[in-house]
Amino acid sequence: MSADTLNLAAEGGGGLFTPGGPGFEAPSVGIFFPSPWADYNLPYTGGFNKYVVLLLVATALVALFLWWTARRQSVVPGRSQGIGELTFLFVRDQISRPMMGVKGDKYMPLLLSLFLFVFAMNVMGLIPFLQLPVTSNLSYPAGLAAIVYITFIVVGIRAQGGVAKYFKGAVVPSGAPWWILPILVPIEIISNFLIRPATHAIRVFATMFAGHLLLATFAAAGWYMFNPAAGPLFGTISVLFSGASLLAFIVFTAFELVIMFLQAFVFTLLAALYIGQAQEAH
Amino acid sequence: MLGLAAEENVLRIHIDELVFGLIAFALIFGLVYKYAVPRITKMLDERADSIEGGIERAKNAEAEAEELRQQYKEKLEEAHRSYAAELQKAGEQRAAIIAEAKEEAQVEARRIIEAAHAQIEADRQQALQQLRTEIGALSTDLATRIVGETLSDSAAQSRVIDRFLDELEQGATAQQQAEVR
Repeated sequence: MSADTLNLAAEGGGGLFTPGGPGFEAPSVGIFFPSPWADYNLPYTGGFNKYVVLLLVATALVALFLWWTARRQSVVPGRSQGIGELTFLFVRDQISRPMMGVKGDKYMPLLLSLFLFVFAMNVMGLIPFLQLPVTSNLSYPAGLAAIVYITFIVVGIRAQGGVAKYFKGAVVPSGAPWWILPILVPIEIISNFLIRPATHAIRVFATMFAGHLLLATFAAAGWYMFNPAAGPLFGTISVLFSGASLLAFIVFTAFELVIMFLQAFVFTLLAALYIGQAQEAH
Repeated sequence: MLGLAAEENVLRIHIDELVFGLIAFALIFGLVYKYAVPRITKMLDERADSIEGGIERAKNAEAEAEELRQQYKEKLEEAHRSYAAELQKAGEQRAAIIAEAKEEAQVEARRIIEAAHAQIEADRQQALQQLRTEIGALSTDLATRIVGETLSDSAAQSRVIDRFLDELEQGATAQQQAEVR
């Protein structure tokens, strides 16, 4: 449970079966707006808040992982080297090669960085007492989506040999009759250059946001229903209810870990898909 | 609510957080690009090389073993061939020795037989001579006794004996011929 979740839950703890006690208050989206410890007092800034701290933790974890797995290299791999190679080969053989083939290997640093970074930011939602996925703040996935957006446009321009050629190939579907182009071209522009980066960022953001809200709800409900002082019968019932909610919290936490991995995978897969499409002639 | 900022749009993009995120990503990307990926790919390539090298070495060893085997096989065949040749030679020599020994034995036997024949002939001649002398003496003696007179000279004596012997021989030959018939 995050500190905010705890605060929230503490207010309504033990509310069940307490005559005149507080009603259940489900966690609101406010948990995704931690108050900053230092504010810059500038428009469109969040200040130095929990997200920034967790971002630093995630970055440090990824750096540590990279150092730990790539530090010793031998032909017969040790444990740490094996984990590093497993990760590298997973990104290469499950993401890069299926999307781009062997010529995608030069984008491996980008893809591996994206995968590790997004996964680490997602996993911040599972760190005890701090838990809040960094990607549940759209600012972070938006930055990464922007990097991928710029990358695939630059790759496309280089691969197609010119700005005009690339954009023509990207927005004018080949083989379409001329009279349908006035409709098709705007659709292609919107879908390829506006909706694509937006959905790329929002997909991981929304999943992490919803998943965290779900976990917070289970945690808050478990705390709210925990009221052993409500008499022998109601006390037992409340403890059972509370236990069920906490069990669901644990199960969904495990489930959430799978989703965190999957979203990092999907984010990287889409990045590889976009770059691969830009590389191919239309 | 405690500790919560005023509620905002959940789809907000904060510039400072965006920039921090990009800096963090740049750090990670630098580490991956300069440190992790080159090391990992280098090691993967080295491993592939060493595995291929191992396969190559195994192939070479196999070829070498095959060559040695071929050599041994040839040597063995060679040994078999020379053994067979020796055997044949020995057989031929044996046959030659036997033939030679046979030849020698035959020659020796012939020589012995001839020697024996010669001896027999000599003995016969001698016996014949002796017999003739004795028969002559006996005949003379007998004739002297019968005729009562001694032949005067030895020439006439031997003439008489020869005649007598011729008659004897003829008679004996006739008798032999009659017996054969």
